[in-house]
Amino acid sequence: MSLRKTVVIFALVWLAGISFLHSSLNLGLFDKKERGDRVAYKLGFLPVTCHLTCPVTHFINKNMTGEGMFEPLRFSSWPELKEAFLAGQTSATFILAPMAIALREQGVPLKIVYLGHRDGTAVVVHKDSGIFSMPDLRGKRIAVPNRYSNQRLLFFRALKQAGMTIKDITLLEMPPPDMPAALYAKAVDAICSGEPFMGQAELDGYGRVLWQTKDVWPNFISCVLAVHEKMITEHPDAVQELVNGIAKSGKWLDQNMDHRMEAAEFVSRNYYNQNSRLLRFVLSKPPDRVKYTKLLPLKPDFEEIEALGKESGILQGTAHFEDYVEDRFAEKAAALHAYAWEAPKEK
Amino acid sequence: MKNGGSGKWQAILLPLIVAAVLLLAWDAAVRVSKSDLFPRPVDVLKGIIELAQSGLLLKYISASLFRVSWGFGLAVLVGIPAGLALGWYPRAFQAFNPVIQVFRPISPIAWIPIAIVWFGVTDASPVFLIFLASVFPITVSAISAVQNMQPVYLRAAQNFGLSQSELFRLVIFRASLPQIITGIRIALGVAWLVVVAAEMIAVNSGLGYLIIDARNAGKRYDLVVAGMVMIGLIGLGLDLLVRQLENFDEVRWGYASKQ
Repeated sequence: MSLRKTVVIFALVWLAGISFLHSSLNLGLFDKKERGDRVAYKLGFLPVTCHLTCPVTHFINKNMTGEGMFEPLRFSSWPELKEAFLAGQTSATFILAPMAIALREQGVPLKIVYLGHRDGTAVVVHKDSGIFSMPDLRGKRIAVPNRYSNQRLLFFRALKQAGMTIKDITLLEMPPPDMPAALYAKAVDAICSGEPFMGQAELDGYGRVLWQTKDVWPNFISCVLAVHEKMITEHPDAVQELVNGIAKSGKWLDQNMDHRMEAAEFVSRNYYNQNSRLLRFVLSKPPDRVKYTKLLPLKPDFEEIEALGKESGILQGTAHFEDYVEDRFAEKAAALHAYAWEAPKEK
Repeated sequence: MKNGGSGKWQAILLPLIVAAVLLLAWDAAVRVSKSDLFPRPVDVLKGIIELAQSGLLLKYISASLFRVSWGFGLAVLVGIPAGLALGWYPRAFQAFNPVIQVFRPISPIAWIPIAIVWFGVTDASPVFLIFLASVFPITVSAISAVQNMQPVYLRAAQNFGLSQSELFRLVIFRASLPQIITGIRIALGVAWLVVVAAEMIAVNSGLGYLIIDARNAGKRYDLVVAGMVMIGLIGLGLDLLVRQLENFDEVRWGYASKQ
């Protein structure tokens, strides 16, 4: 056979074959799909406990009604999550609170409609290190997730409480999944991010919690649920339904420890693709490590974030609570009870 | 090869010995350093078996091959004609070469935000990134293939009075083919190389995704390395496949024979 004939035939067969394999194995193109008449939209999230209510709401809804309410879209890092939201690929997203405020300042039409969680962040040091208090961190290298993360602001606050300034420490930006390994290798002296990555360092035996957020900034918020303004004006019912769902699953999670352990199982298996041991650990030790109730956005909380954001140089102070928060959905959802749902017992 | 029979054995045996030595050194290094984060070869093998049993391995391999096939295929379709034309017409080369050289060194990772804005979080984004990474090596090799073509071919073609399109099909393309194939080999390597970066976008399948996902999944560095090993092995397979092209008469004349 000539070269051309061979190449053309081979290329066509190859492309057809690999496209068929990919679309049947990964895209589920040949699966039967059920489509309701609800608004179809994507909700962005990361596999962190700050966003846990996203998979929980999706899973409970799918089990109760056969539909997932929204399509959860899992990202691996903040920039991609943010870009997909800016490009309108996701209509709603879980996002860092200061990042949402900064985007609003830059003219992005988003509204914070609900909080993701309260607390759920720890500062972890190597167990062999001599660091036992804030002053011991003087001159040390500390990893935080992102310039716009509330974990960075947390340090500004903690430093102030300890009578220190930002010049006393070095803050590094690092993706949270890389933090445990960096601490293990002693590439950094302390790490600070949302769970479960801090719990991982503790669980694997080389990390020691220096302090939890509740010790320094009670009712700490790192992530919020934000939606495009367009979705609020065009589909307010869908937004209300989303906030209701997130609120109900938050209350469900905080109802009792059984629910948390069930969530650890089904979220690890179906959404995070990790060993459930880790989620079980961070959701229970201690039980108030992260909380999913009292998630109405409140003005004083955000004013504090604004002030620290300005101080740390990430916010201009041009956007205020009324500009970036739409709390009517959360207020309506406040009276709702937890999902009346129990996970079916395994086998 | 000087003596056919034992030469064949050598071609298989020598690389296997090198691989075995490297694996032993890796294993020893992990044992000596007593690292409990870094996996040993046997852990990685277990990880690969776990992935294969759950069906994920086949899923991820087909997803990555799908993206690379389309991105690379489009790059071939665009790169070869563009390169031939730019190599043949000096004015076009003058006009476009600086732009090509500006775009060429930009890493696909830098294109990720733009890919998300243009193509969303679908398969089109990684395909676009892989296309970008592989189209330039192909174009550049086609350009230089035409520019370095022996003038004697052209003179002969002119003597036969070939038309412009015949000249392109019968002379220029064929004369450039060996060098273009070399460019294609390089480009395929690059296309496969950027699969990890391309799958950083929120796709939920692929070997690159496997690596990123395993980093998220706590202490699963065995799966990280398993992804790396699979990418390497498939890259080897793809290269062997493209090298088959060199056995065709249309190409073989262009390579100096070592027999």
